[in-house]
Amino acid sequence: MAHLSLTGMLRRSLVHRRARSLSALVAMTVSAGVATALLTLYADLDAKLHKEFRSFGANIVITAPASAPLPPGTLVQVQQAAGPEALAAEFAYAVATTDRGTPVVVAGTDFAAVQRLDSWWQVDAWPNPASTDTALLGQRAANFIADEHAVTLTFAGRPLTLRGAGRLTTGGDEDSRIYLPLSTFTTWTAIDPSVIELQIPGGAMSVEAAMARLRQQLPGLQVQPVRQLVEGESRIVDRTHALMYGAVLLIALTVAVSVLATLSASVLERRRDFALMKALGGSQLHLMAMFLLEAVILAFAGVAVGFVIGSAAAWAISETNFHTATLPRLSVLPLVFLLNVAIAALAALFPLRVLRGLQPAALLKGE
Amino acid sequence: MFFRLLMESFLRQRRRKMLAGIAILLGTTAVTAMLALATTIGDRIHKELAVYGANIVVYPQADLLDVKIGGVDVKPATAGTYLKESALSKLKGIFWANNINDVSPELPITVPVKDPSGKIVELPGIGLWFHHALTSAPDSIVTGAEKLHPWWKLTGTWPAPPTQRESSQVVVGTTLATRLHLHIGDTISTFFPLTDADVKMHHEPPAITLTVVGIVSTGDETETRLLLPLAAAQTISNRPDTVRRVEISATTKPEDAFARKDPDALPAKQREIWYCRPYANSIAYQIREAIPGAQADQIRRVEQSEGNVLARISGLMWLVSAAALLAAGFAVSAAMATAILERRGEIGLMRSLGASKGAIAFLFYAETGILAIFAGVLGYLIGSGLAAWLGARIFAGDGAASHIPALNPVLLPVVVALALVVAIAGSTPSIRAALKMDPSAILREDA
Repeated sequence: MAHLSLTGMLRRSLVHRRARSLSALVAMTVSAGVATALLTLYADLDAKLHKEFRSFGANIVITAPASAPLPPGTLVQVQQAAGPEALAAEFAYAVATTDRGTPVVVAGTDFAAVQRLDSWWQVDAWPNPASTDTALLGQRAANFIADEHAVTLTFAGRPLTLRGAGRLTTGGDEDSRIYLPLSTFTTWTAIDPSVIELQIPGGAMSVEAAMARLRQQLPGLQVQPVRQLVEGESRIVDRTHALMYGAVLLIALTVAVSVLATLSASVLERRRDFALMKALGGSQLHLMAMFLLEAVILAFAGVAVGFVIGSAAAWAISETNFHTATLPRLSVLPLVFLLNVAIAALAALFPLRVLRGLQPAALLKGE
Repeated sequence: MFFRLLMESFLRQRRRKMLAGIAILLGTTAVTAMLALATTIGDRIHKELAVYGANIVVYPQADLLDVKIGGVDVKPATAGTYLKESALSKLKGIFWANNINDVSPELPITVPVKDPSGKIVELPGIGLWFHHALTSAPDSIVTGAEKLHPWWKLTGTWPAPPTQRESSQVVVGTTLATRLHLHIGDTISTFFPLTDADVKMHHEPPAITLTVVGIVSTGDETETRLLLPLAAAQTISNRPDTVRRVEISATTKPEDAFARKDPDALPAKQREIWYCRPYANSIAYQIREAIPGAQADQIRRVEQSEGNVLARISGLMWLVSAAALLAAGFAVSAAMATAILERRGEIGLMRSLGASKGAIAFLFYAETGILAIFAGVLGYLIGSGLAAWLGARIFAGDGAASHIPALNPVLLPVVVALALVVAIAGSTPSIRAALKMDPSAILREDA
């Protein structure tokens, strides 16, 4: 008879009862897959949520005191201090009269920047950034204009004729204004921008840090947070985070205990193997090592397959929901592996404790 | 005989039944908790999003253009148009009245005061509701500016409605309070608007005393104003029963392509569907119908972004629930498969005693079914409790979560049916495999 090595025994034990090994493997794969998917999503959650909150627009407003114009070059300085992720747009305001003689607020701005910053603006058609004479007409302001295709505005006796690109609807103050390109605005009115609206991605912490930097680098300017946005965002992100944390724990625990029950049942089923090995002279330690090793191998295989499936699930969830991909994170692997090995080890050791007191002879006789 | 077999199986194989039962129990607990959270998350996040303030604004239709820069009226309209304050109670008569959470009308005014040199200066003021019941009905919502602007930070108290014409309480914005060195308890004296007769007769106008009861920090232009009860503002400006604009916070359904349709261009049936969905557009449309001469619009910055955030968070919860369902399904299936696999010996014995395949399958399915129903119901109860506890903990201090019932009866049949399907699906391959085997082979192997 050939010498039966430990690896040989393991291999045979796994291959011989294929159905049982397969169901254990499925269980381990599920637990690893679920853990991977949830941890991957969870690690990315805050960044993803903060990104969604960017649709609320600017969370910091920078003005010069006493509505004086901002010093030239402020926008560049602000952009530098705020970092490349931040969105900034400057606005210059004046009161002009329409062709019907109604006073109206006219604002000069950079349409490309506003389009990115204020995603909620409902615009028929954004003006071509290259053209200098197109304007966006607020939906209420448009009612006070005779000809929307050739809008004639007068500021301090100087007339200006613009092409209306379309109407702008926001439900806010913007509805009563007319927006035109900043360069056109400054040459017409000789008024420089007085407001910079800035959006810092992230929660209250990063907004406050950015505000501190801006105040230090731009002394003499008023840097104000849009309070409801900053407070609300952190609150909601924190709560969603806590909710996901609860969900992750709950699901991980459920799957872990279910898998534990399945695995320990299948080990318990092997009472006879256990009795036979003991009768042939295997020590308790030997047997434990044997069962443990088998479980760990299954756990290892489960992690390998589960990581791939879990990463794919996390990717799919994030692609469906946030329309951005979540890439597989190798950093979750150690935790997933640890969790799975712990489940497998527990599943192997728990039945052994039950079996310890049994007499091999009685078991083999079928009593 | 069948029932005896069934009963004995449960009585004698307690450990095996426990294992399968625990798997189903935990699976249904997790699934119930996730589904219960996912179905209520919309409401909960919506309450959280209320901190962003109003999502619908109402103003007079024949309005002059606002000439506002940075929240400051550059050219205050002297003869603007107004809405009637008394018409606001009609908001509770619209189709989606219950979705209207807060209403805050405002009336900007100027408050004439004499500076130390005796010259008359005008302070910007605004009339608002504070703790105001929308209608006279006993169950009416109590609302006002402080509810719609939860980020306003007040030291002191909000002003009580004036009891007489000659005096009122007032809250001062921090910037104005610093400028005028006003503190809580100080008084500001203003006067009734002069009539032509008063001017002719050189009458001193009768005085109105405003007592400062609070100082508010708002983070915007409101800090430079006096905040008065609406009734007092109407008295001072001599415009009884008027408001300039109304902010409304309503619970809405995120906008989709259908919501953007023009209701008046839709066929009658479609229009009805549009009308009966709580889109911000539909609610605004109903407000326009209810209040004569009013124009209502959604505030897109709040409404669109809220819809976006809401959709993402509840989408995430649903997808994670689906993942939980799938995982729990697999775990339960594996547990059931193992439980049956263990009992091949029993199957072999029954077969050799002459039981038909159908009878054995039926017995096993009946066991599985009973287990799934019991564990499923128990899991539903535990899961509901868990979801309620988790929800209450995470969204603590809202006061809003309390109206969400802990038990969602719709979930019970769903969860139990899922448990049944998964348990039966999980045990089927094992039962089939065991039935296919030669009974003598099973029995010999087991001996």
